[in-house]
Amino acid sequence: MKRLLTWAVVAACTVLLAAVPWLGDEVTLQFGINALLFAVLAQGWNIIGGYTGYASFGNSVFYGLGTYGVAIAMAQFNLPFGVGIVIGVMLAVVFAVALGLPILRLRGPYFAIASLGLSAAMGAVFSNLDIAGANIGLILPLARNDTMFYELSLALLAVATLSVAWIAASRFGRGLIAIREDEDAAGVMGVNTTLYKILALVISAFFTAIAGGIHAYWITFVDPAGAFDSTLNVRMIIMAVFGGPGTVFGPVIGAFLLSAVYEMLANSISTAAALVFGLVIVVAVLFMPKGLMDLGWGFRRMGLRYLLHNLRRSRL
Amino acid sequence: MLLVQIIANGVLLGGLYGLMALGLALVWGVLNIVNLAHGAFIMLGGYAVFWLFDLAGVDPFLGLVPAMLGMFVFGYLVQRYLLNLVVRSALLNTLLITFGLDVVLTYMAQLLFSADFRTINPSYAGSSLAILGITLPLARLAAFGMALFLAGLVWLLLNATQLGRMIRATAQNLVAARLYGVDPRHLYALTFGIGAALAGAAGGLYGMVAQVTPYVGASLTAKSFVIAIIGGLENPFGVVLGGVVIGIAESLAALTIGSTFTDMISFGLLVLVLVLRPARKLRAA
Repeated sequence: MKRLLTWAVVAACTVLLAAVPWLGDEVTLQFGINALLFAVLAQGWNIIGGYTGYASFGNSVFYGLGTYGVAIAMAQFNLPFGVGIVIGVMLAVVFAVALGLPILRLRGPYFAIASLGLSAAMGAVFSNLDIAGANIGLILPLARNDTMFYELSLALLAVATLSVAWIAASRFGRGLIAIREDEDAAGVMGVNTTLYKILALVISAFFTAIAGGIHAYWITFVDPAGAFDSTLNVRMIIMAVFGGPGTVFGPVIGAFLLSAVYEMLANSISTAAALVFGLVIVVAVLFMPKGLMDLGWGFRRMGLRYLLHNLRRSRL
Repeated sequence: MLLVQIIANGVLLGGLYGLMALGLALVWGVLNIVNLAHGAFIMLGGYAVFWLFDLAGVDPFLGLVPAMLGMFVFGYLVQRYLLNLVVRSALLNTLLITFGLDVVLTYMAQLLFSADFRTINPSYAGSSLAILGITLPLARLAAFGMALFLAGLVWLLLNATQLGRMIRATAQNLVAARLYGVDPRHLYALTFGIGAALAGAAGGLYGMVAQVTPYVGASLTAKSFVIAIIGGLENPFGVVLGGVVIGIAESLAALTIGSTFTDMISFGLLVLVLVLRPARKLRAA
């Protein structure tokens, strides 16, 4: 019954969001596209980082590959947008498998840093590829249709969230959680850990690459620094962790809230916006290390004491 | 001859790289915190030495001493009153909180010092030493010597003093160290302070060979991380050696395949080291 209610609320919110292009103005719409794409990135990271427990700093590589798939297809070969998305996704998936095999053997901070290194290396590779416009970048054909981009992003987010909901309830998802909690034990219990981890990375790469492709066509310009930006990766992690990693709706809520906070800060105190954003992260980690979803749950159980309880549990 | 010169450049640069990574490796090895704000600490050290030189005319090598002291106090307070609160929480949380700290420091520096490029330019900055046809810039040579000297001090501290024994004991087994009367809150803060002081020194030297801006932190953190892994966390001289390896690799890469590939080379080396020797014991100071 409670589950039914949750999904009814989510469906109502989705319908409301889908109506935004006809209700809000242009600025709202552009903010919306950004927030929705960030939510997809956070949700994509959630699969490998939240459920499987592998803190990937290389998801921006998949984003960049999706970006360049669309950009190369459209700017160099005059192919339609859809073909570009398919190319970008294929690149990202192949890369996720090729990469997952060696680096998913690493654990903890070593995996995090190896994936970070790969994202830095990919930027260098693309800034030396002529077909990708080298350092200068590529200009895509202009499509002045923010409503389309908005609805595409919303649809992508809906599919990504449904997939995560399905994963969370499936045998596959239980396997991922087992890997997160204790990988050796999961292996002993009969989870094919290598296969599961690579599948998780591939699904994560799939959604991330599509988000990159949509963003590339929307802003009609692609360059290596923007496509393989590692701060983008940090932002998706922060959003997912702020909302609640390893939950179905947490990363989406986190992405919406933090996008809104950042937008408001940038409007009112433009220079200090990033500074306050940093403070928000510090305070969030101190008082709600398990994210917003856990905060709501903890508040119902023990009220304000929940904040102190968190501090006590993790201090030295 | 060109090759020898390039390698000499790489070695000198690598010494400085090693010093940058030393503080990160110490904190990581003992506290199990990967400090993403380490690069921002280096940046702060660079600014401290720059302002001492620019406003008060203090020689940059002398200026390293107050910069290190200041960074030590700052690091001690950060660990004691902020990071000690999250030390036992998940790895991702310590990564995130130090990242938040990095953002705060970076934009604080931007507000206070502006985004201008700053270089510390003492009168001897341009002079160099020529040995057997190889040119060695004096400032870089002195920075290299300073890096080795500080690595030696850290080695002595860890291996020949009571404090060092306490630090190593804590790194090996926190509970046992506690049972023997080590106060981990104070000791963690001390270790983090030493790491921050080393970052401060590296920043001052960095300001003499490159430009300091509020934004250098992130890339310096990444570089320090690579070097700490390649050099290992157990021996300060190993870290400096890791820095030298990266310095030479980058100089050679810039010569042969172009400077855009330098980052790729260092991270490529890192991935190679990680994948080939994943089971290596990194956590033993």
